[in-house]
Amino acid sequence: MDATQLLKGVLDVAVLAVVEDEDGYGYDVVRRLRAAGLEEVGDASVYGTLRRLYTAGALTSYVVPSEEGPHRKYYGINAQGRATLELQRKVWAEFSATMNHLLTGEAA
Amino acid sequence: MNTVTPSIESTQIAEFAQEVRAALADLPADEVEDLTDGLEADLTESLAEDLRRTLPEPVAYAAELRQAAGLPAADRARRGVLAGMTRTCTQAREHVAEAVRRHPALHSVVDFLQVLRPLWWLVRAWLATWLLAAFGGMTTGLWFDGAFWAVMVALAVVSVQWGRRRWTFPGLQGVVVAGNVISVVLLLPVLDAALDGGARGDYDAGYADGAGSVGPSGTGQGLSLDGQPVENVYAYDAAGNRLTGVQLFDVDGRPLVPYRDVDMTQLLQTPAMLETGAKVYNVYPLPVTRMTRDENGELVPDPSPDPDKAAAYANGPFLKVPAVQSPAAAPEVVATPNE
Repeated sequence: MDATQLLKGVLDVAVLAVVEDEDGYGYDVVRRLRAAGLEEVGDASVYGTLRRLYTAGALTSYVVPSEEGPHRKYYGINAQGRATLELQRKVWAEFSATMNHLLTGEAA
Repeated sequence: MNTVTPSIESTQIAEFAQEVRAALADLPADEVEDLTDGLEADLTESLAEDLRRTLPEPVAYAAELRQAAGLPAADRARRGVLAGMTRTCTQAREHVAEAVRRHPALHSVVDFLQVLRPLWWLVRAWLATWLLAAFGGMTTGLWFDGAFWAVMVALAVVSVQWGRRRWTFPGLQGVVVAGNVISVVLLLPVLDAALDGGARGDYDAGYADGAGSVGPSGTGQGLSLDGQPVENVYAYDAAGNRLTGVQLFDVDGRPLVPYRDVDMTQLLQTPAMLETGAKVYNVYPLPVTRMTRDENGELVPDPSPDPDKAAAYANGPFLKVPAVQSPAAAPEVVATPNE
């Protein structure tokens, strides 16, 4: 099975989860996702997702000027983002339990 | 791998970012800006961390960015702002058509408006003519002088033919849409100007000009004689002597103001002041200054006025006129020239 296909469906919640505790800029978020084990995540997919979550009102955004390089655009979670994340957590927990049950035959 | 460069130059990154932006060029500029803001910094950092990486293919990268951001895929055939606008218009039109199909009430309204379309074709032709005439110096009235009627007829024919989708050419649709939008936007201001201009000629505006605090450059149509502007009036008493400070009104009490259009008459009248402090133009004879336009187009007093004319403006055409024979006989005398 292609993990990148699966990733597409859960990238939103994964991105929300890695900015839940600390704000991050584009590549920062990519790095956190990869460090968490999502090695295959494409950086353009992450940047696009950040943008879309921002447009949807789940993230805030602000620019931090940098002395040595170009400025950085940071993204942070807001109340709406947190609510979305909580909901998605529940959906994922139920879904993964169902899939585990289905695939292993164990009781959910 | 040997083929991979260990470090990628910042110029290559800049080039790559440029190509990504080009691949997104069909999107609104601010959208592209938001989507790719910080792209160079992110790439620089990711490439510095992972030495084996090469720059990805920019078009594929842009497509991934676009898809993840939930934006529509690139329309390869047509790019750019204009194509985007056309697409938006087409989509909006489809939405409207769909809504009209669903709601019978809306359907009958649209049906009704369809009947009025030819009227709109004429209105826009009138508007275009008015704007042309305005360039030609016309600022007043709903109707035109001479040649502009021919212009209006020609434009009306073109407008109607375009409305009937005749005389088409590639890009006509865009021209018509843009023209209609401009017409809708300009219609009210132009009507306002045209009607206001028309009102200027009547006595209400004349009174406002006369009694109000209109500046010396304010213009307005006032008295005329046989179609010729009357820019001043000289009054003589029964003995034939010249009068000054004569205040003239019509039977309704409206001040009889002179024709004031310095561009036409080259004369600038100075209003008289009443004891109320109001500046009025119906006190004759009004002091006049002969004006001219300097090289900058600014109105300035004529530097070398004709002394004879200047004297005439101040003293009137005659120093003295024949006395009226008998005040009682005056009505008969007035009636005589018409018989």
